[in-house]
Order: sequence, then C-alpha cells, then structure tokens
Amino acid sequence: MKLGNVLAAVFRRDWTMMKRYMVNSVSSLMSIYMVFMLIFMGLQSVSRYASTSGLDGSLEGTIVGFFVWTFTIYAFSNLSWNLTNEAQTGTLEQLYLAPCGFKWVGACTIVSDFVFSFVPIMLLLVAMMATTGKWLRVDLISLVPLLLITLLGGHGVGFALGGLALVFKRIQALFQIVQFVFIGLLVIPIHVPVAKYLPLAMGNYLIRRTMVDGVRLWRLPPADVLIAVAVGAAYLAVGIAIFSWCERVAKNRGLLGHY
Amino acid sequence: MSTSASALEVESLTKVFKDRGGIAVRAVDGVCFKVEQGEVLGLLGPNGAGKTTSIKCILGLMRPDSGRIALFGQDAQSAYPRILAKASAVLEGSRNLYWRMSVWENVTFFAALHGAASPEDRQYFGRLLKLFALEDKRDTEVRKLSQGMKQKASVVCALARRTPLVFLDEPTLGLDVETSLELRSVLKQLAREEGRTFVVSSHDMHVIQDVCGRVVIMSSGRVVVDDQVSHLMSLFRTKAYRIGLRGPSPDGLHARLAQEFAGATVTEAEAGAEIKVNLSEDNDIYRLMDVLRSMDSVIDQISREEVDLEKVYLEIVREERARS
Repeated sequence: MKLGNVLAAVFRRDWTMMKRYMVNSVSSLMSIYMVFMLIFMGLQSVSRYASTSGLDGSLEGTIVGFFVWTFTIYAFSNLSWNLTNEAQTGTLEQLYLAPCGFKWVGACTIVSDFVFSFVPIMLLLVAMMATTGKWLRVDLISLVPLLLITLLGGHGVGFALGGLALVFKRIQALFQIVQFVFIGLLVIPIHVPVAKYLPLAMGNYLIRRTMVDGVRLWRLPPADVLIAVAVGAAYLAVGIAIFSWCERVAKNRGLLGHY
Repeated sequence: MSTSASALEVESLTKVFKDRGGIAVRAVDGVCFKVEQGEVLGLLGPNGAGKTTSIKCILGLMRPDSGRIALFGQDAQSAYPRILAKASAVLEGSRNLYWRMSVWENVTFFAALHGAASPEDRQYFGRLLKLFALEDKRDTEVRKLSQGMKQKASVVCALARRTPLVFLDEPTLGLDVETSLELRSVLKQLAREEGRTFVVSSHDMHVIQDVCGRVVIMSSGRVVVDDQVSHLMSLFRTKAYRIGLRGPSPDGLHARLAQEFAGATVTEAEAGAEIKVNLSEDNDIYRLMDVLRSMDSVIDQISREEVDLEKVYLEIVREERARS
C-alpha cells in the first residue's frame, strides 16, 4: 500500500535527520532539563523558606506537567516549525506532489515525530525523577494512550500555526507565545470552570492521576476520558480546518513555496 | 483514463494575482496547449511570462481562477491529489532536496512518496544515478555536492518517482556548459528510451532547441507561439536576410528602411554597410531591391542569416511586446 511506503519513507527521513542533527536534538533536551532544574531549585527554596511540607504534591505535579509540556512542545513545534522550514528550504512543494496528499504526509510525520521523541522524553522523565528523588508510576499501557489523547489538542494547535505559517511566513514569535500558553493550560486546575474544555488540561489531569496516584487507564472515570478525547478531537478538527483554509489561501495567492 | 489521450491538456487556464495596491495582474491569461504522450515540449518565455505559474497550476500547487486541466484524459482538479501519481516535477532545482540527507536518501524518500520503493525501483534509481554520473556521490550529503551535482540530483529525484509526465522547470539553471550538455544528453536518452512525456521550461534556448520537439512560447501570460521547433526555425531561416553593400550606405537609407521594413538595421563597416532585415512576405525581397536601387546602393552580397532558437525567440517576444 502506498501509504505504508510514505510512512516508512517518513520514518527513514526523520531517523536520518535525527542522527544528522544529533547535537541539536540532545542540546534541546538538555535545555529543557535545565529549565526544569531551575523550577525545581526554585520550588526547593520556596519550601525551605516557607517550611512547608506541601511541596511533595506540587513537585510530582510539576514533573508530570513538565513531562506533558515537553511532549506537547515537541508535537506542536515539529509540525509547525517543520512546515516553515520545509517552505524555507524548498522541499515543501515536493511534499505537496505526493499523490496521497500533503495531509497524509503530515499525518505520517506526526506519527514518526511521536515515536522518535518518545524515547528521549522518557529519558528526560527518568532524569527529572532521579534529580528530584520522586519516582512516579510509568505504566506505559495507560500512559501512551493518554499521551496520544492529550497531544491531539497540541497537534490541532500545530496544524493551525502551520497553516498560518504558510500564509504569513515569519510567525516564530507566535510559536514562542504558544509555548507559554501551553504552560498555563497545564497548570490550570481542572475544577476551574471550562478548564476541562481547554486543550491539554483534562489530558494532563488524567496523566497525573495515572503517574502520581497510580490509577490505571480503565480505572479512570470514563466521562473524564471521553471529555479528554472529545476536546482533543475537537481542537484537532479546528486546527485541520484552519490549516485547510490557510492552505487554500496560500494556493490562491501562490505562496506555497515562498518564504 | 484513455490510453490514447493527450498526456496534458490545458484549456483557457487563467490565474490572476492582486498586487499590493489591489490591482489585478493576469499572470496566466487563457492559456491553451496540449502535450501528446511521449512528446518533449519546451515552455519558453521571459521572466514573468507565466511559465512557472502555469506549471504550478497544473500540479495543484496554485489554484487557477478558471480553465481546465486534464492529465492523460483525467480532469486534474477533480482528481487532485491522486492525479499526481502521473506527474512529478523539478521546481526549484537544488532547493527541492534535503541538503542534510545523501543523494540516495533523497532519491528513495521522494520516490517512496509516489509508491516507488520496490527492489526493481531501486535498481532503476541506481541506473539513473549512473546515467547522471552521480554513482560515486550516492552516499554523499547533498550539501557537500557542487551546484551542478545538486541540480542533477534533483532531476534524478523527479525521475525516480517513475511518473509518465515530468515537469522540469529550469533544469539547467546555474549549470556550467559541460554539465548542461551532459544533462541534455541524458534527458534526450530517457525521452527516447522510456517514452515519458517531458515539459521543460527554461531560459536556456540551447536546452530547448536540443531536447524539445515542440515549443510553446509565452509572453505576458499568453501563448504567443505553439509550434514544432524545426518548423519555427525554418520559418525564421527564410525570413532573416543579410545584405552587404559596396561602400557606405547612402544618406537616408536607414530612415527609408526603418519606414518600410520594421526592425531593419544598417551597420557601417570598413568594407561597406551591412543591412539586416526580416522579410515576412515573398515579394518583400523585391521591394527591398527596389528601395536599394532607388537609392543607388550597390549590392555586394545577399545571404540568409543563420538563425537559432534564441534569435527566433527574441524576435517573437519583441514583436509581441511591440504589439501589446
């Protein structure tokens, strides 16, 4: 099947690129780890000053939040940043010549990005847990589906920003703003009204339940899981719709290969 | 899909852009042409003539405002993107490649997007690399190649998709003479051996003259000529004359010729004046003789000027500009 060929080709390309840009891949993970260290040391100082024992819960939540945030940043930035980069280097139009359609090439890229970012981010998680001494439950059977559900919203944002990049080109500043917005979405408590309908929030809450409280996927409230799936799917659909609209505008104005 | 259908049919293709002031610019204006299966068509035109825009509209990379495009008898717009299984393209030469990947990695990646990934396909990729003298550079990262090699690698990537129709937009851009000759020779060989249809857009007249059987010349978004290269050349060969005069040209000859024969030039040399003129009708030569006789000019020699596609092209484009 041709889609299988496309998926295999995208995997090979991304693996090759990851090897060729190994220093960049490692240093970006290192910088994320260093940001986490700063937050961790900040939390420690606050707890010493306030002589509070309440840090335990927030530290575990911080690890989970940071872990989900890293995955989300990888998911959304790989999609939107790669699109900008491909337009800049000139390969985007060639991807648009794929008979399966660019959206499927994009979908294969998302799958490949998830697979290739999984191991490094899991290593980052191990490093965070080792640094803090807080060992969370890593139940992959529960964790992977929940991550995929949570990342739906992140991909939706990625598609929307990728579409905007096709039309407006230089929107890197917006990428950076979105990274901070994601932090806000991850720290917002789920009991705050409408929070559960925002991207990432419900997924992050469920992942915290799994990793901190040890609740397995099938023990989670089905309504909460359904909300996470529905919210993620809705944001993904909106993101794809924005991308399609921007793609049409770019094709009308002849901007697809421009940068 | 009919097997006897044209490889490409473009009917009344129009693409209008708006500039920053909101003024509509007709980049492609009612363009019509056909390319038969196995044909090598040259698409010529000055910058901004609408060549690349036409190609991008055909490939679905731009949305035309109106017109119909059919690939092998199938309506392209309704069958997009599946229809792209029949077409591939080099659009921006070396920019179409991942520079951090090797030649082979690029070839196998882009070919796989078109489903060409079998062992037999890989054998074919090897043959292409050999033909384009890139065999030794197979595992070299593209960024380490010379401009000419990058350009050839991008052509290999387009050909490796094994589509029956291939668009080559400026395939020899930035190539030295030797590499350009090499590329032309390989393209001719592939067109002959594989019976694929090629649409070659280029500013390099030698490429078009050497590789293409037919040429479509565009100017200001419109097709101004659609003819066989050989016919076009013979047409212009009979029109272009060079007349040597014994001694300098008489007073007023230049003005008289300019009045009677558009584009005629007179240059003064030590041996005598030389007139270059294009005669569009059979009896124009007699009219010219009458003019020269009336001005007491003595003809030393008359010859037909040798034309090449570049001269033909320049003349057509200039005529077209003067007309519009």
